[in-house]
Amino acid sequence: MTKDLVLIVEDDLAISKMLHYMLKQDGYKCMISENLKNALRTFQTHNPEIILLDLGLPDGDGKSFIKTVRKETTIPIIVVSARHDEQEIVAALDAGADDYVIKPFSDIELSARIRSAQRRSIGVSPSHDSIVCGDIILELDALVVYKKGIALNLTPTEFNLLKYFMMHPNQVLTHANVLKEVWGVGYQNEMHYLRTFVNSLRKKIEDDSSRPHYIVTQMRVGYRFNCENEKL
Amino acid sequence: MTHFSYKNYIIPIFLQLTITGFGMLFTDALGMVNMALIHLIPVLVIAVYGDMKATMLITTISVILFDVLYVPPKYSFSVHDLLYVWSFILFYAVGYIITFQAIRLRSNAIKDILLNTLSHDLKTPLASILGNAAILLKEKSISEADKEEIAHQIKRSGIQMNRLIQTLLDSARIQNSKAFMRYEWCDIQDIIGIALQEFNRDDKGIRIAIDHDLPLYWGDEALLIRLMVNLIDNAMKYSGYSSSPIRISVTMQTSEIIITVFNPSDPIPKTDLRDMFEKFYRLDSTGDIKGSGIGLSICKEIVDAHNGYIEAYNAEGGIEVRVALPIEKLYTSNKEYIS
Repeated sequence: MTKDLVLIVEDDLAISKMLHYMLKQDGYKCMISENLKNALRTFQTHNPEIILLDLGLPDGDGKSFIKTVRKETTIPIIVVSARHDEQEIVAALDAGADDYVIKPFSDIELSARIRSAQRRSIGVSPSHDSIVCGDIILELDALVVYKKGIALNLTPTEFNLLKYFMMHPNQVLTHANVLKEVWGVGYQNEMHYLRTFVNSLRKKIEDDSSRPHYIVTQMRVGYRFNCENEKL
Repeated sequence: MTHFSYKNYIIPIFLQLTITGFGMLFTDALGMVNMALIHLIPVLVIAVYGDMKATMLITTISVILFDVLYVPPKYSFSVHDLLYVWSFILFYAVGYIITFQAIRLRSNAIKDILLNTLSHDLKTPLASILGNAAILLKEKSISEADKEEIAHQIKRSGIQMNRLIQTLLDSARIQNSKAFMRYEWCDIQDIIGIALQEFNRDDKGIRIAIDHDLPLYWGDEALLIRLMVNLIDNAMKYSGYSSSPIRISVTMQTSEIIITVFNPSDPIPKTDLRDMFEKFYRLDSTGDIKGSGIGLSICKEIVDAHNGYIEAYNAEGGIEVRVALPIEKLYTSNKEYIS
């Protein structure tokens, strides 16, 4: 059982207690800060392994805190947010947060986010010449994708998009981020390319493209590529 | 306020014409005062259910007709006796006061219904949450299985409250102003997928058929997701214990995208089908099913906001809700980025 220390930055007592309880069940140790000033001090004195950060704090903007933490370490930062501020979430992700959960969230969701963020920060070494996720194999050199052993007929853009997703599994990729990385700088706002290609890619790689398993939409924020191989 | 459709002008204008005809025949017998009063009738009628703009329009027509046809000199806009100008002003005053009062009464009525519905629909799950939590705290000797069932019930009630609150927030966004609409290119299939996520694992019985080459649709993504969530939620609630599946289809027609949601059910009378989308309407026979009339009325608001059309009809073995969303901006995919 893990004994990692989680720093919870949350001013609402009901939520921080609940988070504490959820995390205790998963075997984490917790410290709670009710404001940014306190959070910064705890961060510097206790070296937590994970930070859960509520964006709406009494003494200021969580983004500056994310930037400060990012200057020193790459530990997972997971934003806890209310539903209506997707733009804040995107800004927090851009500032360096790893992931987010939206209130109300379940314990299952929270542990999944923490686990995948931890896996990432431990360091993924992209294995040699192919990436495997579930029943999908992407061969980087041969530029071929197999699903259940059958080669898929992908266009170059579809291939690049899938490659980008598979190289960043289980994390939130903001729309602007994907567009910039796959289409190039200057395409950050061309959402409709992304919509079109995610749609066509899903038709090829998903068993049921109306209930996607791999490419999951994070409403108003971006996408997450689900990859459940434990070896990641 | 909902939009005041041009159809509502038909009755007062028809009244107006009848009265004018009647007046022309009996002017001499009735006298000027009665003529003036008769011409107030259309003003009263429109004032009771119309908005200020409609009242003012109808009042103007009344005043003009009254002036041209009866006030000497006849058949001219000029007025010899300035006393009649006061009559015209009174026409407007009457129209204004009645419309003002009628709108106030109507909005009070809407507030009452809203409050009643809300307090019922929020308090029911809240009662379940508080009651179940109290049991968990008090009873030390509950079996593990019961504990789990109680906890599940708390969660379900929470989800129900959450959905209602989301619906209300979206509804408020539309009613405030159309300026709050956030248009973007939407992938309808993705929207259905996101909507299904709200139902976790309960959605396995839903069959989905979507046109393969459906283009992106120019609309408000969050509202369209809310539309689908409410339609699916509704279909699940009213499917009862039937084992036949809910079916969703999306097809592209020349200038519209058609979404249908079918659920097994006994046939529903035609009047109920029509009234289903009215605010806070609920079929009498379904009093025991949880949920408010808010769900379907916001569906109509969302479809209206996209200038579309929603209707429900009896289909074989169930009822079907059909949404037609006009394509106001055609998506032409940029082929150069496909290669």
